[in-house]
Amino acid sequence: MPVTLSERAATHVKNFLNKRGKGLGLKLGVRTSGCSGMAYKLEFVDAEDPEDVKFDSHGVTVYIDPKSLSYLEGTELDFVREGLNEGFKFNNPNVKSQCGCGESFNV
Amino acid sequence: MALLQISEPGLSTAPHQHRLAVGIDLGTTNSLVASVRNGVAVVLNDAAGHGLLPSVVRYQRDGDVEVGHGALARAAEDPHNTIVSVKRFMGRGIKDIPDAATMPYQFVDAPGMVRLRTIAGEKSPVEVSAEILKQLKARAEAALGGELVGAVITVPAYFDDAQRQATKDAARLAGLNVLRLLNEPTAAAIAYGLDNAAEGIYAVYDLGGGTFDISILKLTRGVFEVLATNGDSALGGDDFDRRVYCWLLEQSLLHTVGDHDKAMLMAKAREAKEHLTDHPEARVTAVLATGQLIDLVLTEAKFNELTASLVNKTLAPCRKALRDAGLDAAEVKGVVMVGGSTRVPRIQAAVGEFFGQTPLTNLDPDKVVALGAATQANVLAGNKAGDDWLLLDVVPLSLGLETMGGLTEKIIPRNATIPTARAQEFTTFKDGQTAMSIHVVQGERELVSDCRSLARFELRGIPPMVAGAARVRVTFQVDADGLLSVSARETGTGIEASIAVKPSYGLGDDEVARMLRDSYAHAQDDMTARNLAEARVDGQRLVEATEAALAENGDSLLDADERAALDKLVAALKTALTDGDLTVIKRASDALNQGTVEFAARRMNLSVKKALAGHRLDELEI
Amino acid sequence: MDFNQNHFELFGLPATFAIDADRLDQAYRDIQAKIHPDRFAHAGDAEKRLSMQWTTRINEAYQTLRKPFERARYLLLLRGIDAMAAGNTHMPADFLMRQMTWREALADANGDTPALTTLERELRDHARELQQELADRIDQRQDWPAAAETLRKLRFMEKLLEEIDDALAAIE
Repeated sequence: MPVTLSERAATHVKNFLNKRGKGLGLKLGVRTSGCSGMAYKLEFVDAEDPEDVKFDSHGVTVYIDPKSLSYLEGTELDFVREGLNEGFKFNNPNVKSQCGCGESFNV
Repeated sequence: MALLQISEPGLSTAPHQHRLAVGIDLGTTNSLVASVRNGVAVVLNDAAGHGLLPSVVRYQRDGDVEVGHGALARAAEDPHNTIVSVKRFMGRGIKDIPDAATMPYQFVDAPGMVRLRTIAGEKSPVEVSAEILKQLKARAEAALGGELVGAVITVPAYFDDAQRQATKDAARLAGLNVLRLLNEPTAAAIAYGLDNAAEGIYAVYDLGGGTFDISILKLTRGVFEVLATNGDSALGGDDFDRRVYCWLLEQSLLHTVGDHDKAMLMAKAREAKEHLTDHPEARVTAVLATGQLIDLVLTEAKFNELTASLVNKTLAPCRKALRDAGLDAAEVKGVVMVGGSTRVPRIQAAVGEFFGQTPLTNLDPDKVVALGAATQANVLAGNKAGDDWLLLDVVPLSLGLETMGGLTEKIIPRNATIPTARAQEFTTFKDGQTAMSIHVVQGERELVSDCRSLARFELRGIPPMVAGAARVRVTFQVDADGLLSVSARETGTGIEASIAVKPSYGLGDDEVARMLRDSYAHAQDDMTARNLAEARVDGQRLVEATEAALAENGDSLLDADERAALDKLVAALKTALTDGDLTVIKRASDALNQGTVEFAARRMNLSVKKALAGHRLDELEI
Repeated sequence: MDFNQNHFELFGLPATFAIDADRLDQAYRDIQAKIHPDRFAHAGDAEKRLSMQWTTRINEAYQTLRKPFERARYLLLLRGIDAMAAGNTHMPADFLMRQMTWREALADANGDTPALTTLERELRDHARELQQELADRIDQRQDWPAAAETLRKLRFMEKLLEEIDDALAAIE
């Protein structure tokens, strides 16, 4: 499988979808923007885009647009806690460099 | 590495531009901050895992300020410098605080609003509240991993204009951009209504630490319409504690005790009240400074007897609100309980009896307000298309003017939907009169002396004419925060003299500026840096908003020249934002604001037209 | 769309006293959904200000059209008749007599909730009759002077009802 969710990430996504009360799954992607060229996209999905690649990871339906796929190959999405802050983190083997904050990257 | 949150479909933001927004419940006893993360509103905890921040501020000799649990723990030890329940003093003069004598503070009767003398100098309740807000802001920024673009701050629905203005000033002082002041029961209704897909008439009974609100709302397909609101902004859980405290003194045959014992016994009284929530009796033991031992047992029956009149005091506003809404208790579909004090079993029973149904307690009464405020903040910050719901809130108390003989003339009636404006014409009563004094008041009573005085100002420069010939048009405008501004204009001769006033109970802009300077004492650079940062954020927001508007309607609503002119102004502001100083950014922002007036007007017209067109289409289909 | 539109035009409704309340409510909400300040909290100052002005205007129009008395008064104003102008005070003698009877009843019922409630019901019934009369005089017969007289009667009723309300509130 090219892209995976860690078990912890999947549990949180399911929990958020449940509390939100609607949504088919999670959309991952990248787009050009930011200080190092590319930025991640992480959104709820309410309507399917037939173009998207769709697969299941630990019970969560994940959607990725074909253009983003090559940049995300082998990525694991994890959920982590750092001090008071908690959220998702992309562990992406393709990244060559990223800006100081990690919000945007280069491949 | 920055941690990411899941956005709504299509609303991912560019890196470093997350619009972090929070809802803050600035309570009498406890305060909370909440935010929407991954599509869900959650309360943000501190490092120790506490969600509730005790609204307690302790000033220390070295200038340090302690807020929250630490301050609360020292309240009995250092009562003069440890301010609890400061919300009760917001926008209040000394004569508005009837139980001032039973409090351990040294009040200073300052014009407009009372002040408190502490070891760190005289403090306005606005400054004390700002310390609580600063703490919550810091907590939120740590938890969300970035700077906040804004906050929704909740206020009791029954807060008058002075109390609202004071709250907004405190937020400004804490460095928060106030997206909206939101009424607490309305915030609770959002949290409850969206969670339960509620429809119909609902009552929100909100008994906090120091304030009581009752709001009657109509919920229809995502519209939260407040029909009426009533309450008592000086009645809350604190009063229940005080009854128990007085009983403790009485049983111990004491008339007065020292300030330390006062604070300690108040805390004991509160513990006893809380214990009685799920126990039939509570034992109170304490050793006073004199060495006297107190060891008493308070039964639930005794507690109910002591506080019966307080419970009843909340039911009269319920009756009034229902009458204002033109409804019977039987028409209310559900009663939502909000505020920690609604845990008192006798209150739940009394409210259940009054409305003829078991009140709803499925949401945590301490958190529901903050969660609703966070949900609204998320929409106001632009993280979610807000088409899902609409809030229509009201003015809690009538606004008016003093007329001849000390009588009140109501200009805006209570329960008018906001924003609202109303104008009234007055004439001169003396020949050659060139000035007219205007006294703005708030309240339901006929006599001005029974209402709250909000502002006095004088309209000068009226051309001398015979009595009754000059016409002065006074306009009251209440904005979406429920805040009033008043302007007056002489219209009789076409000569205009106009003045806009802010109620005098709020702080003037100068005073807020002075407090800001004080808080940055010896740090002029910080102040400058902060002003620049604020101008940048505002400018960036303006660029984003204008670009979004241009993308949506730029081609259809503007001709080529107009479009080019606006594009130029946007580009100028962008340049200013990258390398301009404060003055340059402000000038470019002002220019763009000015330049978009006509475009904004056309967009608004289009929106209204579309709303009606959609409406007619619906009807055709039927 | 402009600020010169009258309240009816604003909501796309015919200028009649008889009104489709559901349609008014729906139009009000649909417009509010588009222009309310909550929709513009992150917009520029110009849009914020306009949003407040528009919402203020829509609220005023809605409040006027929603209440029968205000609606009728407004319809007459649109025809240049200020039914409430000072000097416009003519009242038939029989109505004035009834008026006095009611006032006495109100004074007698002071502090007595059941009596006040009964009186309130009676006055509300009569107010409803006056509203029927307004519909007839404005929409059917277009007899403006007659409509103005009915409107003045309705004003008396509303004042009395307010006084009953105050009396009931005072009992609390």
